[in-house]
Amino acid sequence: MDFAWSDEQQAFRQKLRDFLADNLPDDWEKFSEHGPASPALTAFAREFCGKLAENGMLFPHWPKELGGEGLGPWEQQILAEEMWSAGEPRGGQYMNVNWIGPTLDRYGTPEQKAQYLKPITDGATLWCQGFSEPDAGSDLASLRTRAELVDSNYVINGQKIWTSYAGLADTCFLLTRTSDDRKKGITILLVPMDTPGITVRQIPSLVGEGDIHEVFFDDVTVPEGARFGEEGQAWEIIAYSLRNERLGVPRFSLARAALDRAVAMLQERGEFSGEIVRAEAARCAAACDASQIACYALVQKRVDGEQIGAESSSARYAVVQCERAVCEFVIEYVPEALAGASPYLKMHHQRGIVAGVASGAAEIQLNIIASDVLELPREPR
Amino acid sequence: MELALNEDQTQILDFIDSLAKPYASVPMHDVSYALTSDDLDNELAENGFLDVMSVEELGPVTAALVVEKLARLPFALESAASALVRSLIDPDLPRPLCLVEEGRLNRPVRFLRPGASVVVVGPSGVRSFTASEELIAPPQEDTLYAYPVAFLTGLPDALTSHDIAAEEVQRAWRVALAAETAGLLGAALESLTTYLSERKQFGRPLATFQALRHRLAETQVLTNGVYWMALKAAGTGDPADAALAALHAQDAAKRVGYDYHQLMGGMGMTLEHPMHLWTYRLKLLTAELGGRGSQALAAADAIWG
Repeated sequence: MDFAWSDEQQAFRQKLRDFLADNLPDDWEKFSEHGPASPALTAFAREFCGKLAENGMLFPHWPKELGGEGLGPWEQQILAEEMWSAGEPRGGQYMNVNWIGPTLDRYGTPEQKAQYLKPITDGATLWCQGFSEPDAGSDLASLRTRAELVDSNYVINGQKIWTSYAGLADTCFLLTRTSDDRKKGITILLVPMDTPGITVRQIPSLVGEGDIHEVFFDDVTVPEGARFGEEGQAWEIIAYSLRNERLGVPRFSLARAALDRAVAMLQERGEFSGEIVRAEAARCAAACDASQIACYALVQKRVDGEQIGAESSSARYAVVQCERAVCEFVIEYVPEALAGASPYLKMHHQRGIVAGVASGAAEIQLNIIASDVLELPREPR
Repeated sequence: MELALNEDQTQILDFIDSLAKPYASVPMHDVSYALTSDDLDNELAENGFLDVMSVEELGPVTAALVVEKLARLPFALESAASALVRSLIDPDLPRPLCLVEEGRLNRPVRFLRPGASVVVVGPSGVRSFTASEELIAPPQEDTLYAYPVAFLTGLPDALTSHDIAAEEVQRAWRVALAAETAGLLGAALESLTTYLSERKQFGRPLATFQALRHRLAETQVLTNGVYWMALKAAGTGDPADAALAALHAQDAAKRVGYDYHQLMGGMGMTLEHPMHLWTYRLKLLTAELGGRGSQALAAADAIWG
């Protein structure tokens, strides 16, 4: 075991920091107050990700045969940490390089790879996840948006909700029901968002402008070739994808950076000498460290080529705890931050508060830990 | 960054498993407040398991792994201070090693007995002496802590000064505290999950009730965090990492100390179940080094000045 970064890894981190320093605008902190899915940030991200791609930093962790540098999971982690603590200038495109690309590579047809991978590697496209529905949130397997195969086309009818990035996304990674066999009846379709019959309505949110939507599908017709994987294979595919997704967002980096920022504000005005505030800040730092090292243990598994299982739920629950601790610390000790005094802390808060809900509710993670990490007998259904 | 166990570490932990196998469970009908074994202690010391920190290719992370592993046993062993602190002060100090804080000499001292090395750490530096009968007062006979404890009645006139900063010993002490806590938390959780998976009420195992499952799952998250933070702190040697690991460890210990007995109901109040052998060690560890508040302030000092 060695807890130190290699010289190469440190150099890689420095290269990313230099790139960020050179390519983020002077008013970036104020600018990043725009929500991660806002029109302003989405437009900025298209330009920024293009530059990342030109410099080999958009997907350096991908294998060489996919156009990446083949750098591996630790470098993916470093990349994600630096981007996320800078306020995620990639916007929703972080999903592309974390899991959509790798999932396309693993399960996609040659035609799908040819159609979708290039725009991802150019840094020029945005995806959204059509998962949750009004009656299928945490209980995702009860989703009802139906896709019927009619003459070599799927005809889709139904509704999705709380869909991030839907307003400006080019493509939807859509979960549909093709049979009534609960988890085995769910099928993924890759649906261009400009397909006739799709209506997107934005839902005002705490997370910021343009983030959350409801999406309606009225007789939306896509060719059979839009099916991703086999009919009924969705659950297996998204289990694979979400394991990547849960690990892919190093929220602890932004939380810790936000904590340091809040402490600096307190120090500046001489309000960081009391024992209570110092102890509270230390607890937040411990929560950040606990979640970071739990995630690192999973990155190691990835390095070793091991399957990441339910432990990812444990790491993600730790991440939720750290986000919550820092969000609450900021409001208690630097309340003015969210009212104009610190765009950075406001930005952190808006990203932090969704930690326990996005990619599966925190309570679902506890259920998974109970059943699959602690191996407790299952609850009766 | 490499977080997988190396071959040496795997081998050492396997050796310990075989050596400690006869001590992995509580002897039949034993209802002690504390369990100790001189035989196991001697075997561990003789086989060098408590000296791995000084071996270049093993070092402090391996020492922390050893401490974590040994703390899982129902038997209380003086391993943490010996394995993670002693070599910094004087590798030849006779065991057991008792770490005490200057200014807090009235606390129960773990493993204190005649012949033990007592190290006093504080503003006057790092000083040690060999405990003698007249400096030791026994605790009440049925003390609840699952360690052998005793009290110091005072300090001898002469102590040996050591050429090491008190802060460095406190750092290593925090790592030792975190590593031992990690093992205790892991063993207590394992014992509890077994009990709750078997014990049936309302016609089904208690572990099938979500009210209990979520509390168990939350403590799994804490336990995992303490384990990794302890190893990281051992590996980096950074004072901030050590303070954060000790803080998280004491916070976790405090969180589970009550819950684990509560979730076991009546059985949790008996000595027939060994839970107290882990939880009452955890409880005493929450008082170590000034308690959670002191670790938090030490962490804040180390991080933000």
